[in-house]
Amino acid sequence: MMRDITIGQYYPADSILHRLDPRVKFVSTLVYIVSLFVFSSWLGYGVAALFLVAMIVLSKVPFGFMIKGLKPIMVLLLITMFFNLVFTPGEVLWSFWILKITKEGIRLAIKMGIRLVFLIIGASIMTLTTTPNQLTDGLERLLRPLNKIHVPVHEIAMMMSIALRFIPILMEETDKIMKAQMARGADFETGNLIQKVKNMVPLLVPLFISAFRRANDLAMAMEARCYHGGDGRTQMKPLAYEKRDYLAYLVVAGYLALSIVFRVVGI
Amino acid sequence: MGIIKAAKLAFDYLRYEEEGEEPEVNRAIDHVDLDIEEGKFIAILGHNGSGKSTLAKHINGLLVPTEGTLWVDHMNTASDADIWNIRQKAGMVFQNPDNQIIGTVVEEDVGFGPENLGVPTEDIWKRVDESLKAVGMTAYRHHSPNKLSGGQKQRVAIAGVMAMHPKCIVLDEPTAMLDPNGRKEVLKAVRELNKKEGVTVILITHYMEEVVLADDVYVMDRGHIVMHGVPKEIFSRVDQLKKYRLDVPQVTLLAYDLKEAGLAIPDGILTIPELVDALSRPEIRIPKGWKLPEHTQKKEKKELPQGKESIKLEHVGYTYNPGSAYEMHALKDVNLEIPQGQFVGIIGHTGSGKSTLIQHFNGLIRPTEGHIYFEGQDIWADKFPLRGLRSQVGLVFQYPEHQLFETDVLTDVCFGPKNQNLPPEECEKRAKEALEHVGLDESYYAKSPFELSGGQKRRVAIAGVLAMNPKVLILDEPTAGLDPMGRDEILDQIASLHETRGITIILVSHSMEDIAKYVERIIVMNHGVKTFDDAPKKVFAHYKELEAIGLAAPQITYIMYALKEKGLDVDTSAINVDEATTSILRALWKKEEDHK
Repeated sequence: MMRDITIGQYYPADSILHRLDPRVKFVSTLVYIVSLFVFSSWLGYGVAALFLVAMIVLSKVPFGFMIKGLKPIMVLLLITMFFNLVFTPGEVLWSFWILKITKEGIRLAIKMGIRLVFLIIGASIMTLTTTPNQLTDGLERLLRPLNKIHVPVHEIAMMMSIALRFIPILMEETDKIMKAQMARGADFETGNLIQKVKNMVPLLVPLFISAFRRANDLAMAMEARCYHGGDGRTQMKPLAYEKRDYLAYLVVAGYLALSIVFRVVGI
Repeated sequence: MGIIKAAKLAFDYLRYEEEGEEPEVNRAIDHVDLDIEEGKFIAILGHNGSGKSTLAKHINGLLVPTEGTLWVDHMNTASDADIWNIRQKAGMVFQNPDNQIIGTVVEEDVGFGPENLGVPTEDIWKRVDESLKAVGMTAYRHHSPNKLSGGQKQRVAIAGVMAMHPKCIVLDEPTAMLDPNGRKEVLKAVRELNKKEGVTVILITHYMEEVVLADDVYVMDRGHIVMHGVPKEIFSRVDQLKKYRLDVPQVTLLAYDLKEAGLAIPDGILTIPELVDALSRPEIRIPKGWKLPEHTQKKEKKELPQGKESIKLEHVGYTYNPGSAYEMHALKDVNLEIPQGQFVGIIGHTGSGKSTLIQHFNGLIRPTEGHIYFEGQDIWADKFPLRGLRSQVGLVFQYPEHQLFETDVLTDVCFGPKNQNLPPEECEKRAKEALEHVGLDESYYAKSPFELSGGQKRRVAIAGVLAMNPKVLILDEPTAGLDPMGRDEILDQIASLHETRGITIILVSHSMEDIAKYVERIIVMNHGVKTFDDAPKKVFAHYKELEAIGLAAPQITYIMYALKEKGLDVDTSAINVDEATTSILRALWKKEEDHK
């Protein structure tokens, strides 16, 4: 069950999106998210959807795999849509107790739903086509100016990439410990909230111990391979913009411009 | 002076109990002298806790000696200025494959070392290509390490070290967490590096089979080097090795026993062909005075105990992620019946479905097809008490010590009975009984489970399941990572549980040697299908088929078949060293009688 989460997982394939510079993908994703909130008309969403579909096709990642990443967020999505649905003032269509479903509410809820779904798919296209290492490299480069104000950018990037590497391992471990304790009669499902929290102790303590043990091992392995911070380090895959990256920036800039034009014109 | 030289090396671990107090001093290694020549394949043997890993960490400069000096390629490891040079010259591979891979893609991980060394980008790529090729992992360069097998991960780790162009590579129990296939893979890779690239290899292990091909062997015990020599010398001293909690390969043990019996067999036999050759020589004569034992064959247990039906599987199938692109059939149409009181072994390589299978026995996994019955009741029928079932069918997972969580041993063992809603006194009584069964006395009750040794922790964890008084006890690889003595202790205790409590034991393993000694019935799994299910002797007779599915019969089986081919009339169904010794002596005796 835990292993079904695909957000943040890299999907190896050979596509133009996979080859793009991670900085381009990062900036483009941000632009895309902004555009979702700049667009406000159905036509605008159509354009956003078209753009998204184009990206999905270009990424060569199976659509089914991508959709699986949506499932865990479904609940959040439904709650957001629900609140938008019942708490938006306007022309009442149907009411019950303090809940009123309005015409505006329906419209807003659908818009919010579309925005969230597009946002999540958009962001997952980035993580699916970019290895976490590239992603952190990209962030490291984008944030490098912050070094001047003594933000340890390299260290943060390294921590992020290690965290990403160990998330699936710890997920699997959680699954295993949970089963092991269930085999000893532990119950993770029934009881009230306090009991449930208390029942988590046999899961959390071994998990933390394991995480610390792994951290310790990893630190040693890194030291043994001469890791000593970012100074004097070279890169196997240094980031360098190529023609296609500039081209991609151009396309994204065009898309953003379009969305702004839409907004200004009022469609 | 060789590439690595140690003089009077000693190291103390300090443990601070409370502030201000004098720390507790534990001397992990003491008076260690080493001189290792460049280009050699060196093995360091020792049981768990003998100080061999501490020594390894010195060679890489991860630890600095308390006393004495260690030179790596003429550099003193105590000097701060040389530390990065030393680590580059003497690379290190650790035990746990997961915890030493930093990159999220294979090739990026291999590039990690060179990046740290400041190697220019183009050279990094060259080095990564070469290293991956050297360990045969080029095809996996774009893969995520999480999707690789244990053996493949260790090969990636070795490539990561090779990319730093070391002169020497130290491997600290690299195969302890792998299955036999993974072990072979890794050893082959290491041996090739040593031969082709001329890298000095220091292999630290407690598996004796792995050191047979070493140029030089050191044996450690309690921080000291207690034996040193070529494998032949070391292996001829079987008694001494046993004293140091090590054991020798079955073939060496058999040769040793035959020699003790009076046959003219040379010392230190390491491989099967050597033994077979030695036995086919004409000067092999049955010693005078040897008599054919009356009836040496231990009385075969007539039939498997056929107790009350306990676990029964009917057409069970299990599919992971059904309907998706990741669909995988872990089990296919498994039919199985295990009566109360049997001692069953389940064997299969990693991914054969054996772990999935055992999780069906106590209802942790719901089959996608078929039915599972416990004592005649369908466990997935409505209102069947699944939690109750789990206390009757105890399951001890692999590395069970990772599930310990309480502050002291007794409370942790009480966790199971407490979940059965038993009164506290009863819980405690059962916990104490269980701990006694695994050989831990009162002095351990109040200890924290985390300060125990690896073997002790594992026993606490097994007691934790045992305390629920299960009728069936399933153990998944209970000996993984233990040294030979620890392995024998655990297995002996499990066997005595079977005898004294009469509970059904289901032992999952990939070591035929371990299983052959104890079980009455072997179930072989391959690709989710039950391939064999019979008494051990009958299963091992299919040793060629077993090999084809990546498993191996015990060494003894191979020896006996090889001897038979040479015309010696031995009993090919012998499965342990004692049986084999008697059978060989008997066959030789018969041969001589016929000649007369």
